[in-house]
Amino acid sequence: MARITAGVGSSHIPLLGVAVDQGKTKDDYFTPIFSGYEWTKEWIKGEKPDVIILVYNDHASAFDANIIPAFAIGTGERYKPADEGWGPRPVPDVIGEPDLGWHIAQSLILDEFDMTIINEMDVDHGLTVPLSMMFGQPEAWPVKVIPLAVNVVTYPVPTGNRCWMLGEAIKRAVESYPEDLNVQIWGTGGMSHQLQGPRAGLINAEWDNAFMDGLIGTSDRNRTIPHIEYLRETGSEGIEMVMWLIMRGALGAETRLLHRHYHVPCSNTAVGHIVLEPVS
Amino acid sequence: MSEIKGSVGPVGNQGDIAEYLAELEDIPGTRVYTAARARKGYWLNQFAMSLMKEENRRRWRADEKAYLDEWQLSDDIKQALLARDYNRLLDLGGNIYFLAKVFSTDGLSFLQAVSTMTGMSVTEYKAMMDAGGRSPEGVRSIKGGY
Repeated sequence: MARITAGVGSSHIPLLGVAVDQGKTKDDYFTPIFSGYEWTKEWIKGEKPDVIILVYNDHASAFDANIIPAFAIGTGERYKPADEGWGPRPVPDVIGEPDLGWHIAQSLILDEFDMTIINEMDVDHGLTVPLSMMFGQPEAWPVKVIPLAVNVVTYPVPTGNRCWMLGEAIKRAVESYPEDLNVQIWGTGGMSHQLQGPRAGLINAEWDNAFMDGLIGTSDRNRTIPHIEYLRETGSEGIEMVMWLIMRGALGAETRLLHRHYHVPCSNTAVGHIVLEPVS
Repeated sequence: MSEIKGSVGPVGNQGDIAEYLAELEDIPGTRVYTAARARKGYWLNQFAMSLMKEENRRRWRADEKAYLDEWQLSDDIKQALLARDYNRLLDLGGNIYFLAKVFSTDGLSFLQAVSTMTGMSVTEYKAMMDAGGRSPEGVRSIKGGY
């Protein structure tokens, strides 16, 4: 049987990808950010996950203003890095896992989550930056990836509670897959940041850390945070944190903290990173 | 005063759409990308999206005005684009992730482009970020003033 063995939360700030691609990760600016990922890079070498369900948001790359899926799951064989206006990132293609992807898609629909299914798309920094943070610069990514894209751009976006429930349904879907696979789920984006308007640059370290506290143990208080609270407290783009709740929901009733990291700033944004395992 | 509050009442607490939408307009210096803005800025955002292709970027750089004339855009939008007035573009329904294609084509980073919306120089804005960013104190709510 396939199992979800761990959950990872991480920011997916584009500048982190630039730092990796241009060999700047040991510069003074980036050292305090990347040093917080060293533990995870070592840990994941030992864990050797077969598949990552990578929850992220598309930043107007694969999806334009025309079609806006609330939740979309990738069932393709491979995905190329997107050209976001400055050329595609020099990273390997992302290799999909269509068998498990389709299994999850079908299970979710029967579990009343009516997913959008994507067979061909390019993946942007939201998906490739977390891979770079965890795996560095390999010739090929050492895992297969099932992209799970969430609309956190056009309002209303899914509620945090709905995201948590989707995570719970993903756990059920994975556990009903007969093949013996080691599956991780990653929730990406955040933490506090606002990229628009005169209020841009907003950071709320206290709130971000309280949110991370709420992912640990048996707490489920994060699922009731309304959109307006994310917007007021963590900036207009802080809403990305609802994607961490899909990860948290997929870990079951209780989690154990393995690693945690927080740093301000990276570009306009607070960097948050957490590694959790389910307590069963 | 930054502890997580959560919602009272039904989980999600987002059933009253009029109240929900009104609250989204109650944040100082912020244009939440609502359905109304998405509708208003549809072709602005689709124009920006076209700059994901190198061939289109070349044509845009060669003659911005001519390239804009190929799109169903109001004069307001065209002028704001030519002026790179990002606050105005947000008012006209632009979304920052779409507009990012415009400033990326200009070779600007997110930090450089975002700073232009704050009334600060890039240097001042970067210094604010390096010092821990903008505090939410006093900029959470227009009506509440907190």
